[in-house]
Amino acid sequence: MSELKPIFNALWRSKTGALLLVVQIAVTLAIVSNAAFIIHDRVTFLNQDTGLKDENLFRFNLYTFGKNVDIGQQQEVDETLLRAIPGVADAVVINQVPLSGSGDSTSFHLKPTPEQSRGARASFFMADEHLLNTLDVKLEDGRNFTAADVVYSEGFEKSASVVLVTRSHLLDLFPEGDGLGKTIYLGDNPFQVIGIIAPMKGPWLDDEQADNVALIPQVMAAPFKRVLVRTEPGRRDEVMQQVEKLLLASESERVVSRITGVDKLVLEQTSQDRLMKNMLLVLITVLLLVTALGICGLALFNVGRRTRQIGTRRALGAKKSDIVRYFLLENTLVSLFGIVLGVGLALAMSDVLMRHYSLPSLDNWFILYSLAGIYLMGLVAVYWPAQRATQISPSIATRSV
Amino acid sequence: MLTMTNISKVYRSEMVQTHALRDFNLQVNEGEFIAVTGPSGSGKTTFLNIAGMLETYTSGTYQLDDVDVGRLSDNGRAELRNQKIGFIFQGFNLIPDLNLYENVEVPLRYRGIKAAERKRRIERCLEQVGLGARAKHLPAQLSGGQQQRVAIARALAGEPRFLLADEPTGNLDSLMARQVMELLENINKDGATIIMVTHDPELARRAERNIQVVDGQICDFKLYQGGLEKQRAGAEA
Ligand SMILES: Nc1ncnc2c1ncn2[C@@H]1O[C@H](COP(=O)(O)OP(=O)(O)OP(=O)(O)O)[C@@H](O)[C@H]1O
Ligand SMILES: [Mg+2]
Repeated sequence: MSELKPIFNALWRSKTGALLLVVQIAVTLAIVSNAAFIIHDRVTFLNQDTGLKDENLFRFNLYTFGKNVDIGQQQEVDETLLRAIPGVADAVVINQVPLSGSGDSTSFHLKPTPEQSRGARASFFMADEHLLNTLDVKLEDGRNFTAADVVYSEGFEKSASVVLVTRSHLLDLFPEGDGLGKTIYLGDNPFQVIGIIAPMKGPWLDDEQADNVALIPQVMAAPFKRVLVRTEPGRRDEVMQQVEKLLLASESERVVSRITGVDKLVLEQTSQDRLMKNMLLVLITVLLLVTALGICGLALFNVGRRTRQIGTRRALGAKKSDIVRYFLLENTLVSLFGIVLGVGLALAMSDVLMRHYSLPSLDNWFILYSLAGIYLMGLVAVYWPAQRATQISPSIATRSV
Repeated sequence: MLTMTNISKVYRSEMVQTHALRDFNLQVNEGEFIAVTGPSGSGKTTFLNIAGMLETYTSGTYQLDDVDVGRLSDNGRAELRNQKIGFIFQGFNLIPDLNLYENVEVPLRYRGIKAAERKRRIERCLEQVGLGARAKHLPAQLSGGQQQRVAIARALAGEPRFLLADEPTGNLDSLMARQVMELLENINKDGATIIMVTHDPELARRAERNIQVVDGQICDFKLYQGGLEKQRAGAEA
């Protein structure tokens, strides 16, 4: 430690360059630690398990404009046709598509309206008894619904009476964990919870209740509807190409549109997050590079400025390693001050981000990783100038007057 | 204790080769005070640099206290320099960002001397050159003569057996030059061997032994016997 004292004193007596570098390191640490934290947050978000094998799923829209088409009946024909395509695992007409980024959610309550009771929001998927199999989601408890449970309607004039839910949703309604078999209400329509399904996401990944999902055995005959198809692994493309022709051959007074893989929908939904992640990565890289250049530049400048001093030190008995050591210790001092200042800045910055952009509070590990990274980077950046300094001949001491 | 045999030094640049030293032979005994004179470009600094191991030589042998300097590594030379040799430069070469105390401390730190012992030596050496009260000052706050005295304190702090000085008074007026010279004479009396390059014939005359370098070789040398005594008598009078 005593070795640092004269280095510090010398630094202090010509401090302008070093002070600028301290500020630069501090700002870099503040931004890098916060950005790294946000990146980590986004990567966790992007890599989360959705519970669905989206690479095997695709969806499309079906809009019937023919006035004489019996929509309800055609629906059953379509499903039969789709399920018969080689490579198709299962298919359903459905009210909304999971992971698509758009859809509906609603609140289920313990008591029918207008009574006040505990409620919990969930996104709900309505389709026939093939729904669970099409989603390829496991039943964890209770039973799946059967053809007998499915209600076919024009609109909301009739309602199904059973429901499958995720455990997350059920626990919101029944925190004791005794919800299976109980009755819950959508408005004043009662639904008995007959089964609990494995975790899956609803339409939105960034929803606060993304894990709350309800499956309802009901099919509405509407001119516009969505269809979800699951294929066997690796066969999705070939199936997607056949769908339009096949359905139009069965009934031509309609339009098939937006035949899209669900994985692609996920990419669309998360494009902002990926953009942010990449921009922050670029920002971090640029900042670190600029700081490394700053450290390297100041050290090079100092090597030039101190040529005579370095030669003199060598003449007085400094080994080459002593010269390298001097530069490394000097950089350690500058980094130390930069880091102390930077930790404060990082926390302040995180506080601002937290309050204005509702980000989670900065995990201190990220400050620690960032400061270790910046310190090591500084040592690397200063090493080359230090090596150049060792090339200064001790004879400089007598040769330059 | 210092023996150079057939030392030569050739500087090679792209176009020219400069023979700075040619078949240079010299024997220096413990306790001598040698003044080196000679025309500009004759090789005085080159000789001093080789003697102080600041530069390597092209051929010949150089023996310092039974150590064959030619066999030493860069680290070995640095270590030996640090232990046995004190340098005094024409341009003082104090480190501008360090105060006097810290400047004198530099070689002691490289030697690995403990803090308490460093303090003792630094204070004694600064006292010896008459600057004990100004330890906290920066070099820029001193006159040239004072700076050179600090440089001498720095050279002395390591308690070197050899003091090499390249025109130590070259940048000083005659009064300051005389003070520095007296300091060197006292140091020599205390036992250190001194080799001093100078252009000043008066100072050279005060040394025990004169060497003249011409064209990279020792031309002749005269012994000014009693020169030192004469000088001292003059100073007391
Ligand atoms: N690094 C170098 N590269 C090439 N030639 C050099 C180098 N250093 C010295 N010389 C040459 O070697 C010769 C001896 O130089 P040196 O510095 O020893 O002379 P000097 O006697 O000290 O002169 P001065 O009295 O002017 O200080 C000169 O011709 C000089 O030009
Ligand atoms: Mg010279």
